[in-house]
Amino acid sequence: MSLSDLTGRWKAFSYGFLDASAKRELRRKMIKAVAVPGCQMPYASREVPIARGWGTGGLQVTLTLVKPSSTVKVIDQGADDSVNAASIRRFLSRVSGAAETWDTLDATLIQSRHRIPEEKLTRDQILILQVPNPEPLRGVEPNMSTARQMHADADYGRMWLQLYEQMVRSGRVMLGASYPAMVNGRHVMTPSPIPRWDVKKLHMAEHLTILSAGREKRIFAVPPYTRVEPLVFDDVPYKVEDHAHLTCARSGVTGYFMNEIPQEDGSAGYEVSDSHFGIKAIDARDGGTPTVGQTWYRNGELA
Amino acid sequence: MAYVATRGGERAIEQSERLYRAQMGQIDAARVAEIEKALPALVDRVMGEASLYAPDLAALALAQSGGDLYEALLLLRAWRTTQPRLQIAEVVAPDAGFTHRRISAAFKDIPGGQILGPTLDYAHRLLATEVLEDQPYAPPAVEPAAKPAPATHPSLAEWQRAQGLVTTPEAAPVPRDEIPDLTREPLLFPAKRAHTLQSLARADTGGTLALGYSAMRGYGNSHPTVNELRLSEVEVMVAHPDGRRFSAGRVKTSQAEVVTTKGKGELRLGFTATLGWNEVKCISAATLDLNAPGAEKNSPVEEEFFLYHTEPVESSGFCIHFKLPHYVTFQSSLDNLRAAKSAQAEQAQPTDKEEETA
Amino acid sequence: MLATPLPDAEEIRDNATFDAVLGALSRPGTLRDLPEPGPLCIALALLDRECRVHAGDETLSARIAATGAALVPAHEADHVFMAADSAEALAVIAGLDTGSHLYPDEGATLIVPARIGAGQALQLTGPGIKSVERICLDGIHPGFWALRARLCAYPRGIEVLIHDGARLLALPRSTQVTEV
Repeated sequence: MSLSDLTGRWKAFSYGFLDASAKRELRRKMIKAVAVPGCQMPYASREVPIARGWGTGGLQVTLTLVKPSSTVKVIDQGADDSVNAASIRRFLSRVSGAAETWDTLDATLIQSRHRIPEEKLTRDQILILQVPNPEPLRGVEPNMSTARQMHADADYGRMWLQLYEQMVRSGRVMLGASYPAMVNGRHVMTPSPIPRWDVKKLHMAEHLTILSAGREKRIFAVPPYTRVEPLVFDDVPYKVEDHAHLTCARSGVTGYFMNEIPQEDGSAGYEVSDSHFGIKAIDARDGGTPTVGQTWYRNGELA
Repeated sequence: MAYVATRGGERAIEQSERLYRAQMGQIDAARVAEIEKALPALVDRVMGEASLYAPDLAALALAQSGGDLYEALLLLRAWRTTQPRLQIAEVVAPDAGFTHRRISAAFKDIPGGQILGPTLDYAHRLLATEVLEDQPYAPPAVEPAAKPAPATHPSLAEWQRAQGLVTTPEAAPVPRDEIPDLTREPLLFPAKRAHTLQSLARADTGGTLALGYSAMRGYGNSHPTVNELRLSEVEVMVAHPDGRRFSAGRVKTSQAEVVTTKGKGELRLGFTATLGWNEVKCISAATLDLNAPGAEKNSPVEEEFFLYHTEPVESSGFCIHFKLPHYVTFQSSLDNLRAAKSAQAEQAQPTDKEEETA
Repeated sequence: MLATPLPDAEEIRDNATFDAVLGALSRPGTLRDLPEPGPLCIALALLDRECRVHAGDETLSARIAATGAALVPAHEADHVFMAADSAEALAVIAGLDTGSHLYPDEGATLIVPARIGAGQALQLTGPGIKSVERICLDGIHPGFWALRARLCAYPRGIEVLIHDGARLLALPRSTQVTEV
């Protein structure tokens, strides 16, 4: 054997950027993440050519799964054309040759920051959520070692106490996005900073969701048909954002998660947050015939 | 098609990158070579934090990023992580290698002598403004000593060990090829000793200084005395596939060993070594290492606290990520706030602290 | 600046293998196709020098050693390739690492051959399964299922990948298996 045998032929970079060893580690960790839903599995988390905190965890998962026949959709805050989503999508297609899409229905891999599309995902799709902080207990316990022990002991008393105190002080649970949920009856998980509107889409879903925090080096998953139950008290129901009655000023759709746009006259306007869903609605209104998938919500209610 | 109006995303990011790069103009090999020659301290700092010893690549990264240290680091780390692992080099003992500088603050003189070597410690910090008036500054020539200092110097801690002042920590029974590697495994706590030293080796210089300084000012339990500070060049010894050992080259390394007398009848040591010559980082990081045993949870000298918070790529990345839009999370919290406000219209009470919306 | 690289044969095989493994684990009991028959492609997609592996078969052992993985006794391994068709095999499987409550990920992955579609009928429930999944497996010792249940004291446990030629199914520790 010679040194050149060991080094192999020089390549500017590997297929899908990550080297084979990084992909193998991610595969091993994804296996364990799927096997213990909602449990944070530590992984080495390699540096990738975008900054930490900008989706490096999601990117490593997507880069491991992607192949030339994949079709990737990348969204940030629900929008495909958001600058960082555009940057990640361009990087993905550049290093993998995968097709790019804005249409949820066409995608095989959907990498997202902070939203789950409004059209239902199917069994042939994988949702990859970027996670800034994988630890749902961080608010009550910043120390990672202690928090890990609390998960090991299923000791979620302080989490419940926090919710209870909010109820007493504010009359409701004041958690906005990242609403913690019990997964498979055992592990409390952050669903990543998706709005409460989206958390229930993970419950008994048809698709696989992989959540990955690159900076914090943790990966976890929600397999299809897995219980994902937001932490609530029996007598206080879970409340999603009060958006059911809002209408998108651009597309005219009602009953989906909206972005609030402050207006010059002091009022507020609304635009549907799932940007491509809005584009389809505009297309339909203008006489086009876009294929619109079944949605999780109908008339503002979870169907 | 109102949404189409906002489709400028791709063009916008491309043009914004061009604007940034326009500041630096064309980058060529000569510029990279000049950076490598003119800025050795900066190149060393970047190599240490990148954990990649390659002065030309470090200089290239600095040229490409326009001197943004965190960007340069990320370029190098992202390049490094895709490189194949061919060999694990032989272990280098602290006292091995060609020593350029070795000082101790613990004793007036030490076996092998105090070797000042290259330093600005005693320079008067006067800005050479005449250079701007076309009077180039040429450093005066170094006058060689009558008798050259020996190439290697014994470790002071060895002398202390012989005196019974320090106990040699037991080496973990790990074969060389299986030394835990932070770039291949996650950092978990309590951290493996190898992971701690690797983390400190690639920690942010400014970050270790800030936290190390807090310990020096009294937020730790031990005051450091510099037992030994050493700048060396060491051989990277590897094995050819046919079995022959050979040197793949020399790397500059710095090491700091700090000591406290606050032990149970003996001295306790803190240690950090890194690639390149970077004294502030090694002394600060060794001070953190010194203070870690028995540190209070969530204090700056607790291992989990300082290792997480001095990781330069992670901390800088997370900091700049707050520039990304967060309007979905903001919207979600706004909804709560309004609902709580209207529910409490009659009985005003303070709401809970704002939650993290990353 | 950089041209889009093409996947080489290994990348294509490893990617397809993991597609099958991930799909099988996400929907326990459903069948997936491996890109080639046998457990070797699973080993190559998952293992390298970071791993500690035990393989019952000598040829497979040699191929695995070439990935850089350390060959160790089964109870020290994170990946174990062996048949589960005898009482002796079960004694070995009984000693597998099931991880801890602190680190459930340290539970081993067991890769076993079997005949899928014949033999013992099993009923599966748990994450990844809408209501109930039914499978039949032959070539697995009858004591295996009680042993697996003991090892899978959730969230501790082992993952079982079952291959029959190029067909694969998987039983993550979260799956409850009932013999019917």
